[in-house]
Amino acid sequence: MPKGELLLEVRCEEIPARMLRPAIAELESSIADGLGARDLVPTKIEGTFTPRRLVLVVRGLPAREPDRRERQIGPPAAVAFDGDGNPTPAALGFAQRCGVDASALERIETEKGEYVSVEVESRGRSTVEVLSELLPSALVGLTWAKTMRWGEGVGPWVRPIHGIVALFEEEVVPFELFGVTTGNTTSGHPVLSPKSFQVKAVSDYRSKLRRRKVEMNFESRRNRLAAEMSDRAQALGAQVVEDVELLDKLASICEIPGVVQGAFDEQFLDLPREVLIASLRDHQSALTVELQGRLLPVFLTVMDRGDDPKGLVQAGNEWVVEARLADARFFYEEDRKQQLVEASRRLDTLTFHVKLGSYAEKSARIRQLAQFLCGELGWKKRAGGAEIAAGLLKADLTTEMVKEFTSLQGVVGGIYAREDGADEGVWQAVYDQYLPASTSDRIPRSEVGIVCGIADRIDTLVGIFGLGLRPTGSRDPFGLRRAAQGLVRIVLEAGLSIDLDMLAARAVLLYGDRLELSGDEVLGDLRPFLEDRVRHLLGLQGFLYDEIEAALAVGFADLPDLGARVEALHSMRDDEGFLAVVLAAKRIANILRDAPEHLFSEDLLKEEAEKALWTASRQLKAEVEQAEADGAYRDCLRSIADFADVLERFFAEVLVMDENRDLRGNRIAMLQSIQRTLSRTARLTEVVVDRALVRQGA
Amino acid sequence: MQSFQDLTFALSSFWAERGCVLQQPYDLEVGAGTMHPDTFLRVLGPEPWRVAYVQPSRRPADARFGDNPFRLGKHYQMQVILKPSPHEIQSMYVDSLQAMGIDLAVHDLRFEEDNWEAPTLGASGVGWQVMLDGMEITQFTYFQQAGGLEMKPVSVELTYGLERLTMFLGLSRNVYDVEWLEDGLHYGEVRHQDEVESSKYYFEVADVAFLEEQFEGLEREARRCLEAGIVLPAYECALRCSHTFNVLDARGAVSVTERVALIKRVRDLAVACAEAYVTGRESLGFPLLAGDASAEPGGEESDAQG
Repeated sequence: MPKGELLLEVRCEEIPARMLRPAIAELESSIADGLGARDLVPTKIEGTFTPRRLVLVVRGLPAREPDRRERQIGPPAAVAFDGDGNPTPAALGFAQRCGVDASALERIETEKGEYVSVEVESRGRSTVEVLSELLPSALVGLTWAKTMRWGEGVGPWVRPIHGIVALFEEEVVPFELFGVTTGNTTSGHPVLSPKSFQVKAVSDYRSKLRRRKVEMNFESRRNRLAAEMSDRAQALGAQVVEDVELLDKLASICEIPGVVQGAFDEQFLDLPREVLIASLRDHQSALTVELQGRLLPVFLTVMDRGDDPKGLVQAGNEWVVEARLADARFFYEEDRKQQLVEASRRLDTLTFHVKLGSYAEKSARIRQLAQFLCGELGWKKRAGGAEIAAGLLKADLTTEMVKEFTSLQGVVGGIYAREDGADEGVWQAVYDQYLPASTSDRIPRSEVGIVCGIADRIDTLVGIFGLGLRPTGSRDPFGLRRAAQGLVRIVLEAGLSIDLDMLAARAVLLYGDRLELSGDEVLGDLRPFLEDRVRHLLGLQGFLYDEIEAALAVGFADLPDLGARVEALHSMRDDEGFLAVVLAAKRIANILRDAPEHLFSEDLLKEEAEKALWTASRQLKAEVEQAEADGAYRDCLRSIADFADVLERFFAEVLVMDENRDLRGNRIAMLQSIQRTLSRTARLTEVVVDRALVRQGA
Repeated sequence: MQSFQDLTFALSSFWAERGCVLQQPYDLEVGAGTMHPDTFLRVLGPEPWRVAYVQPSRRPADARFGDNPFRLGKHYQMQVILKPSPHEIQSMYVDSLQAMGIDLAVHDLRFEEDNWEAPTLGASGVGWQVMLDGMEITQFTYFQQAGGLEMKPVSVELTYGLERLTMFLGLSRNVYDVEWLEDGLHYGEVRHQDEVESSKYYFEVADVAFLEEQFEGLEREARRCLEAGIVLPAYECALRCSHTFNVLDARGAVSVTERVALIKRVRDLAVACAEAYVTGRESLGFPLLAGDASAEPGGEESDAQG
């Protein structure tokens, strides 16, 4: 096993926290690919980072590329040799370039005729040489969310580079990147230990950095932060309010993970919990601490140093937090001078979209869609609540609090509505309106919230699609994928049987003449977009691609029903009988391709096997219809699976394409009828079958 | 504890010692040091440039009648431009903190991503907000674009908020209590009346119809200046348009859609000025390039302006 070890450290000015993890993952994989392409396969590639360093360690690298024999093609034989068969200058030149004598040239046949050729042995290059080519191109090739230029116009890269350590087996891998040459020196923490020093290999790199106030490993920094913060909270008999994302950020903005603990005035605990948490998180990157569900007047954040010898770091952070919370209190008190319903009256000054009008108009449409939904779902008792909630839904967009903390939209409205004495279903509807925003979110708690969440999203989707502004590639400025995803999830998880096409058509009507596309065009664009979201969502739930396609092919209008069909399909997936029927269904589809409808007559049944099939198929049809009506899709597929034997026998004993036209037509008619029965729950032909799993003879 | 003016002195001398022209504030109302022509125009084109100055910066919407301990309708920025951005700019910056008496052995210094954008100037940059003990003390930006033009070479801009820095170093809870000079007058004694009266003007007195007319007039004037081939007067009109817009905005006289349109009109002027400036400097043969690489940037030209 080769032992070659590469250490790469790119030291630069502070890289934004959000870009570090994707960058190091990309670097790992592009180096792995690059080495693999050169037959240099390492045993391990490990990347990590600090805000000022990208670090890559590659272990188990061979010292050289393997030697290769490669065939080089030269000039055409007719050009390479004269009439006497002697090599021409063209042949001699080719031989010289390949480093062989002209006598070594061979003639070979190619697609384009006869050519001269020679097999050249090339010695594998040293790994250092390969790396000096591979490393700079991988580094330059990294994709960053935002790049910059500096100095005389150097770049583009994420931030200016200050030093590169590239060592393979203690030897410097020579290359240059943006004017910086590789070497074996780096430096420690820029404020606490700025002197440069030499490194030999990974082992001394890590320990020397530690002595110089840098923990190079991201995971180590995060774990230390988490442990230390949890200890601090426990010392107060409390616990940290979990925020994984923020903890990751904190570990990405320091080279040494020091915890700052600060306190704030207890009077701020009167502010809503969500507001306190958001203010500390968004402005100060600070976590909060709670005891039995109540926040303590304490915050925890990070400093890029191990200690706070004079308490100045704590004092400074407390000073800023105090000012920030005073701001939050100011916004809260300004907002609470009036009820939320009054704030909603200012929505006519807030533009939803220039061509689609104001948020006041959007609210009016949401109200009508919510009423329509209550009717469709038979939720008459929710109609009153939905009316009130729809009117309040967007009101918090005019509040000072949401202008300051956009991440709290919806939540602030919900809190204010609750304070104003709204019913639980109503304030929860406002509070939950943007849920689910991510896969880990729940759907709205109340039925009123479900209705409002659907109405808001379908209105946005129809409006923006109606302007022809559907998302393309990674561009989705209106967040339509998230809106559609949320919509589909609410409908599926709440188990609502509503036809989304019909709902969308309703939403189109409410826009009057504002849309630039016709209603049919909007629906035509929106349908595949929503189907894609359904595919994605069912995929996340563990269903396989072909199962989803098979179920989707039968119907999309009723999503919970679709979900039940996919689930049934998934559960029958490995059943031998079922798979045999799938194969038979594909065979039937092939036979019936382009066949016109035929008439069936029982009198024309001749063979025993086809009579048996007909009897069985009538029974199957009855069973399937009953199971369908009951929504018992697994039973339905079970019956279909039990149909395998009789189908198999039919195909073994009966020739469908009989010479007799009547018999042939009759058999086709029977198969057409069977095909309809088989495809009621899912289009079986979409199911991919691994033939190895299917019993012989199917 | 350092007084407001000690801090200003310390920063000014620090950057003067590093080859910066020590410029004076621009004599027009501007929203930020970036708008001073010695930043906005000088960062354009290939000529090297280093400058430092204090710029009183007006943000009408932030005015609070002198009641809010943190917010001001006018604050002071220490603005530094180094073009091209030196390789060691971060450590130079750290040295400037030490020159102010900040002992980094006992403080926490971090650079957090903050990409700056000035829509009215067609300008944007990449950089950080520099955090000292969790407080933003400087905006540190590598200019990538100004007046819609790409930067080559790239300038680095350092903007220190002087009030906040002084307050923070003394952990003072009210800007008006900050000592302007040591054991002497306080910030409030020097500036409070200004804040009260300006706020009253911005929020209560300003005549919307007059300001709207003024905006239109200044815009026309800027265009006339550009046609006459005089860039600086055109740019000054654009700056005054920008300030007029800010007052209208604070007065609550600008709707959301108007807002976008007005910002675009100011930006169009700024972009036109930027293009005219570069063309003009080019026709002069980019005098500061001078072919003499060893010369300290920013020498003869600033004399010529005096």
